[in-house]
Amino acid sequence: MSAAIPRTVWHEAFTLPIAFLSVALLGGLRIDTAGRFGFAPPPLMALVLAVVLVAVLFRAGAIVPAALVHPARPGLANASGLAIVLALGAATAQVIATLTPDGGLLTLVFDVAWLVLFGNTLAARPDRRRLLASLLVIFGAAFVVKYVILSALYAPDSSLMKRAVMALLEGVSLGGLAYQPPGPATGYVAFAAVLLYVGAVAALPQAAASAGATAIVRREATIVDSDRLAD
Amino acid sequence: MATTSASSRAAAALRSPALVRAVGLATTALYAAFVVWVYTAQPRSLVEMRGGVAASIGVYAVDAVAFDEGVRYFRADKFAEARRAFGRADAAERDPKTQFYIAYTFLRQGWGRFYEDDALYAQGQAALQRALAASSGGVIRVDDDPNLTIKSSDELAEAFARGLKRDVSDLNPLGVLEKRP
Repeated sequence: MSAAIPRTVWHEAFTLPIAFLSVALLGGLRIDTAGRFGFAPPPLMALVLAVVLVAVLFRAGAIVPAALVHPARPGLANASGLAIVLALGAATAQVIATLTPDGGLLTLVFDVAWLVLFGNTLAARPDRRRLLASLLVIFGAAFVVKYVILSALYAPDSSLMKRAVMALLEGVSLGGLAYQPPGPATGYVAFAAVLLYVGAVAALPQAAASAGATAIVRREATIVDSDRLAD
Repeated sequence: MATTSASSRAAAALRSPALVRAVGLATTALYAAFVVWVYTAQPRSLVEMRGGVAASIGVYAVDAVAFDEGVRYFRADKFAEARRAFGRADAAERDPKTQFYIAYTFLRQGWGRFYEDDALYAQGQAALQRALAASSGGVIRVDDDPNLTIKSSDELAEAFARGLKRDVSDLNPLGVLEKRP
């Protein structure tokens, strides 16, 4: 008689890698005003920032390596865990890339801001819940700046949003600061990608689960043993 | 009894965490390969994406009716109409032969006894690049159409290059006697 497969197994095998890979796919998608697609690979700086952010996730306990890859886990479980870690790295780089302006001085400004914010978070050593809340705020702010404010400021037409932003900023001009705003559809895709990323990070096996990881492994072994006995 | 035992073993295997993980890993690997392909192939629309996936697993097929219509227009020297029909036939731009014909329409439309149209030749070169990108061997041969003077992608590329080059041979009056490609 077989026991039911633990939900964690489904989660690690399907939900998490597919969610992170979807973020890696959508994070690079750029849709221009004519509706044509473009897929931008992450710039080098996004890869560097992704490493820093993964380190932050590790320090805050949002990602527990032992819950994903551990000598006590079966080989396939470790392979699943490794796939999650790799997909998380790719998704992190692409989520940073999609929230950073593509090219120009603004890219530099954003990259410095990311570095300072992640460094500050690393130094503050928040717990998992606070880190997730902090990530939502940081990503939300970057999204609003890139896809709402900058897109409105650099929009070719004088839209209502542009007039509202100009009124709020009291007619401030960005002078010769060149920037090519993405197509409006890109913003919606980026929004979905960011939410999916934060949701998937929140769903990663937690610190409390790491202690239970061995129990899950034992349970998997028990299921296999009970199947053998049934035969 | 043996049948019952085998079926219970199969049912147990289906409920095995190892199987779930193996299927999950296979799905993840397939999806990751798709993501890498998307970034490499850079499809510009959902149609191109569908066509690219279909071509990569060998099930992509052009619309034969639209292709034949394009060939008919091409032979009647209605090049813009031919390109529209070829575009319908190969919406994902994944068929080397159709893209070869599209490049050829630009060559014939841009060719003249006294000058060549650089803009059309440049578009022809771009179409030929697409054709070569879609071909597996890096060269395309169309031998089944007697209407074509140029039968291979190498000759077509050279015809475009010659047409776009500026040198003293452009002033050769015997050039007017050249046969249309």
